[in-house]
Amino acid sequence: MGAYRHFPVLMITIPMLGAVLLPFLGYLRKRWVATATLLPLAVSAVLGLLLIGRIPADGYLSYELGSWTPHFGIEIRVDYLGLFMMLIVCGISLLALVFSMRYIEREVEGPKLTAFYVLFLLLSAAMLGFTATGDIFNLFVFMEILALSSYALVAVAGNRNAVRAAFKYLLMGAPSSIMVLLAIGFLYSVTGSLNMADLSTRIAESSYSEVLIVAYILFVIGFGVKAALFPMHMWLPDAHSIAPSPVSAMLSGLLVEVSAFAIIRVTFSVFGSGAENLIGGTVDALGIFAAAAVLFGGIMAIIQKDLKMMIAYSTISHIGYIFLGITAFTAEGLAGAMYHVLDHGLAKACLFLCAGSFIYVKGYRRIDDLKGAWRQMPWTCFAFAVASISVIGVPPTAGFISKWYLILGNIEAGNYFYVFVLLSGSILAAVYCFRVIYYMFFQPPKEGAWESRTNEASPSMLAPIWILSFGTLFFGVFSYLLIPSLLKAAAFLL
Amino acid sequence: MRLLHNYHYIGAVILFCIGLYTVIVRRNIIKKLIGLNIMETAVFFFYISLGYVDNGIAPIRVGGADPSKMVNPIPQALILTGIVVAVSVTALALSLVILLYRQFGTLDVDHLMRDEAEEAKEAGE
Repeated sequence: MGAYRHFPVLMITIPMLGAVLLPFLGYLRKRWVATATLLPLAVSAVLGLLLIGRIPADGYLSYELGSWTPHFGIEIRVDYLGLFMMLIVCGISLLALVFSMRYIEREVEGPKLTAFYVLFLLLSAAMLGFTATGDIFNLFVFMEILALSSYALVAVAGNRNAVRAAFKYLLMGAPSSIMVLLAIGFLYSVTGSLNMADLSTRIAESSYSEVLIVAYILFVIGFGVKAALFPMHMWLPDAHSIAPSPVSAMLSGLLVEVSAFAIIRVTFSVFGSGAENLIGGTVDALGIFAAAAVLFGGIMAIIQKDLKMMIAYSTISHIGYIFLGITAFTAEGLAGAMYHVLDHGLAKACLFLCAGSFIYVKGYRRIDDLKGAWRQMPWTCFAFAVASISVIGVPPTAGFISKWYLILGNIEAGNYFYVFVLLSGSILAAVYCFRVIYYMFFQPPKEGAWESRTNEASPSMLAPIWILSFGTLFFGVFSYLLIPSLLKAAAFLL
Repeated sequence: MRLLHNYHYIGAVILFCIGLYTVIVRRNIIKKLIGLNIMETAVFFFYISLGYVDNGIAPIRVGGADPSKMVNPIPQALILTGIVVAVSVTALALSLVILLYRQFGTLDVDHLMRDEAEEAKEAGE
């Protein structure tokens, strides 16, 4: 047992401690706040990278907080999928943070700037804790930290629309948190335990099947609102399109995925092993909603005029993809869902950051205004095109690999209708993505809209965009690095 | 008989439904927030009633107290955390309400959403 045993808990506590200390620094030296925010996140990312290879695909790393043995104390349990998710969170948060160092000063000013960075750090820390915890009540607490910081981040610009979108988000998010709390109460009342591993054995032996079914439905509704699953998505388009672009990248690239990951946890780690027949009906219903989400999100994205609105609706469609991977209940499907989390995180963060640079440089939000944009901002436009190709799922990108495994998983499960839905989702994605790409590259610009090539976004904004779009290509070409372990980890969970 | 025995659950369910009804139906956003708090209270009540023991004593093992009479302390500890969370959510929501009132001059959800539809229409033209 080396020092790495402590890494998972340090990955959570260091950013959280940073968020507590940051206001003091903001009081003393305002200019250093942005740089100081990078530090704890970078430390977390390094610790996460050091953990690679130490967690086998069919094992986990358990940490007892305060040396209380699990079942009595709180356990931090990181398995292969958990580490995978934590690394995605660290990476995308860091890139979005680098982007926002320059961008955010235009939307947020004065004392609120420190508040923005504190909330950003708190959001990242909460997401790390949310994925790593092995205690179901702790999951609720981290979910609330995550939700509160995201409500505040949506409202951070402080104008009419931002406040209204944040309030709408809160009005849907807060009841959903209560549902999760109620579900945890139901589980506790029939099993007497809060530890996830312990719960799964007790659920398998429990005779209170009705209570368990209701608890699972409440979990699905609660996390489904946070993940913006189709009938519970109403808050997402407003919140994601009105929030400042780095925040949109965080919400769309990480928050909804982390919530979907919580459903994976609840479905497979808590209920899965002994209760498949209990939750089968709910999982089937979940599949129908997910299929509806793929189609609805795609169609709504096509008719949008606002670029960020279009990307937000595309997120709804892609959450449907992730859920179709979960509901297939096969190793391929689950591995595909996890790979889609990676791919969607990279691609969506990249698209939102590109939209952010268009807003930063020109103030253009509408898709019509992007005609001929490549003349002035070729680098941003190329990165946008690469990320769009990954969203569609064309071969050299990661989007292709994840969709391939999602389709394989659904074929193996015998859900041929969902295969059809997954494929038509790609066609819809092609329609809404190619429209923007066509406008950018093949249409003449409006008079005086896009002039010189000298006025690109600054390097600190371009670098994250390019790293993200390069990431979608890298994980598309070198998918063999991750896929075998993901398949093994998924088989271990099932 | 079982239902009568578990009357406290019925109380929690009724309270939860009142809260949910208020959140969904009321148009005033302050009332919606009150409904939210009623929902939270219902869940807290449910938790606390889980650990309730008739004529129970505090779970302190000093002086040889009988463990079978002790109330379950875990739900109480959980709900202490839950109350903190609920207070923070309410505080954030109320500060958003203040901002909303400053920007729109109304607390009526219908007005807020109507403004939004009109603004979207103007932006479209």
